Amino acid sequence: MSMSGTLRIETAGNAVVTDLGRPRGPAMGLPTGGASDQYSARVANILVANDDDAPIIEATAFDLSFVAEVDLLIAVTGAPMTLLVDGVERSMWEPVSICAGQHVVLTEMSAGLRTYVAVHGSFDVPLLLGSCAPDTGVGFGVRLSAGSRLDVRTSIGPVVNPYFDMSLFNLGVLVPYFGDDVVVKVTDGPDEDEFAGTSGRLFQAPYTVTEKSNHIGLRMTGRLPVRTSTAEVLSRGVPVGAIEVPPGDELVVLHRGRGVTAGYPVLAVVTPVSLDDLGQARPGQRVCFRHITVEHAAQDVREWRIRLQQLRRRVAAIYSALGLAEPLGIERRTTDREEPRALQRL
Amino acid sequence: MSPVSERDVRVSECGPAALRVSARLGDRELDWRVVHGLSRRLSERQEPGLIVSIPTYESVLVEFDPTATTVAAVAEHVRQLLRTIDPGEPLETAPRTFVVPVLYGGPWQDDLDEVARLTNLDSEEVIRRHLEPSYTVRCLGAPGGSPMLDGPDFPVPIPRLASPRASVPAGVVSLAGRQATIAPATSPGGWRVIGRTPLSFLDLAREPLVPYLPGDVLRFERIDEDAFERLSGLALVPDGTMTHTPATGARA
Repeated sequence: MSMSGTLRIETAGNAVVTDLGRPRGPAMGLPTGGASDQYSARVANILVANDDDAPIIEATAFDLSFVAEVDLLIAVTGAPMTLLVDGVERSMWEPVSICAGQHVVLTEMSAGLRTYVAVHGSFDVPLLLGSCAPDTGVGFGVRLSAGSRLDVRTSIGPVVNPYFDMSLFNLGVLVPYFGDDVVVKVTDGPDEDEFAGTSGRLFQAPYTVTEKSNHIGLRMTGRLPVRTSTAEVLSRGVPVGAIEVPPGDELVVLHRGRGVTAGYPVLAVVTPVSLDDLGQARPGQRVCFRHITVEHAAQDVREWRIRLQQLRRRVAAIYSALGLAEPLGIERRTTDREEPRALQRL
Repeated sequence: MSPVSERDVRVSECGPAALRVSARLGDRELDWRVVHGLSRRLSERQEPGLIVSIPTYESVLVEFDPTATTVAAVAEHVRQLLRTIDPGEPLETAPRTFVVPVLYGGPWQDDLDEVARLTNLDSEEVIRRHLEPSYTVRCLGAPGGSPMLDGPDFPVPIPRLASPRASVPAGVVSLAGRQATIAPATSPGGWRVIGRTPLSFLDLAREPLVPYLPGDVLRFERIDEDAFERLSGLALVPDGTMTHTPATGARA
């Protein structure tokens, strides 16, 4: 029934294999890293009955195409792109069966910045501290280019009719908003008092994301709060989402690839849920910050997690109804994590 | 000394998934012991929902999963652990010592001369003062677990480069402010480089990825170009354990 096989990349403008990140990394000086839009990454894996943190492809801004050398079950989420399977358009945000030999093309990203491709069974890739997330600092990770081959752990025959765009699924996936103006929720930072009198500027007018933004952090222009204290700050741990105002004319919002320590005061902290929206923010896009309490932010995360758990249950129920629970490993949900193999560098 | 009290620390919220605990005993060494003692206790106890802690000089960032615990529960846990810490006790009763061979100057002579100019010392005196202390590893920083050290005894802090370099090779020995470090990996850098070690620190096949921990001791040793060539690519190991061995899986 299940066998392993290979997926061969034909084009990859800017794509890596990643997962939800490396939570233990910061204790050793490595950033957390992982998918910049964690919601989309988790949904992709859930739709193909993988663990939430299974390795997936993250394609940033540019096209991606590959050939399946075995039958695959895939799901594409994140920034909206046109998904073509042998030239036939298929839907994002739902499971799609691919037959051996078919060409899969992702093109024309129309909004957002990062698109995710999960494959049932996931990929056999090297791990560092338990995660495959790229770390450019130490030169670790899998970056895809034409000719790259990814070993897929299990192949699965057609689940849905692979030749017609006729979905069997009504999974009720909540698709995020990928519009022009992003509303980003923040809570007070631990050093807000160092911006006495001007911290409110953060909420008065929108900011614009600049070209210098990446997975480490976003840089934004706008009316900047002004730091009033001048005391030298020793390097200290900074949370993902920290908003800082370094010298210069830009606001910095640290994202998942942030260096774990920094010496700037933290004005505010973007909530975990809003970090996903920032992970999809393009240069030129406008961002409006909105203040909420820490309790409210925690409640948002809990609701976000419950929605994902509910989706996982609906997906499992549908696969069971189709008689596919066993080949997809749904009823024997165990850890199929493997030990790190030989390490690979970028 | 008496255990840490609530007055000795400041606990600050950093959103729903992190707390910053800053020690305020008024002594840099004691503050450092408190935050590292707390970090070690947090990782030993495996409290549900706690993900990781990042201790530095006088503060520690505690990260947690807001779906598995709350800010209030983590803050209370931190307070309980602080009561078990005696700041009078050293972090390591038997720290290991690492000797780091350094070729001073060479391709970095211009930076070394600039540090000499900024400190109003000559470059030989800069090197002498850099070689003098036994440095305690204060914390692990970027990139890749750099050993963060208190800087040598200079009359003034060393300003960073106005424009950081896009790429500095692994092994560079550098200074900024009142801090010193060695880079385990090639990375961008705004610190002033005064030399380079031929040894390799980083081993991606090992956990932790670098051989030293906060609390261990580093000493520098001056070498010439021949020794640099001879030692090139060997792994850093604690003094007295074994001779240098070739690094495995390390980045060249």
